[in-house]
Amino acid sequence: MDLMESLMISAAGMRVQGERLRVISENIANVDSVSEVPGGDPYRRKTITFQNALDRELGTNLVKVKKVGLDPSEFTRKYDPSNPAADKAGYVKLPNVNALIEMNDMREAQRSYEANLKVIEVSRGMLQRTIDLLR
Amino acid sequence: MMPANANRLRRPDSMDLFKIPLFQRLTERMNWLGAREKVIATNIANADTPQYQPKDVVPLDFGDHLKKLAAVEPMRTDPKHIQGTIPPADPVDSKKQKKTYETAPAGNSVVLEEQMMKLSQTQADYSQITNLYKKHVDMLKTAIGRGA
Repeated sequence: MDLMESLMISAAGMRVQGERLRVISENIANVDSVSEVPGGDPYRRKTITFQNALDRELGTNLVKVKKVGLDPSEFTRKYDPSNPAADKAGYVKLPNVNALIEMNDMREAQRSYEANLKVIEVSRGMLQRTIDLLR
Repeated sequence: MMPANANRLRRPDSMDLFKIPLFQRLTERMNWLGAREKVIATNIANADTPQYQPKDVVPLDFGDHLKKLAAVEPMRTDPKHIQGTIPPADPVDSKKQKKTYETAPAGNSVVLEEQMMKLSQTQADYSQITNLYKKHVDMLKTAIGRGA
């Protein structure tokens, strides 16, 4: 039944946005995580991509997490010789996390989550109206 | 929800609402709106999926309806036969939207606002149809003397 399926589709949409928020919070939490060894690489920003793939159980396409990957962009370097993670020249590699980008991603995840929630509300209302025909 | 050809499966002498063309049309419309709701739900769920193109259902059209009726399917005289070349068509087709408002760098062209607009339109249409359905059932009830 289409309306039931749309409930499942929206629920899947909400689930992936939740997953996305998990990755974002991981990035934000690690915005200052430098290497444990001198001159080593710090935390690398994670990215998440989605895909619309067939769910065999439901027989319809659901959005799923395709991959949680790593952002290949370069680390910024900061001169801080007293830092335990500094290399021989006194530079520390900082994570390639930009708090501003993460905040915007977070806002977008929230917006998408709310949109899916709204679809659930509407589908539920339509189902309810169909059931009300029995009265 | 009832498939469009549900009335064909019933006994010819049974009295049911599906014999009344109005109810047939209303049910068909409800089916269509349900399918549209599903397509919109898929679009919104994929608002952040790379390369995803939004879809929309093909509008209900009387001409299309006639064409579907005209399709001839090979008869199955034995349950072991493979079904004919014309598969029982999905009552509602959905197609990729050709014109989209904008496309994100990742190739996604779902515009949430547009989808939300379609969503509320679908909801309004659906309540319109269910109200019509209810009104006509009430009319029938009046006719048999149990009306409000």
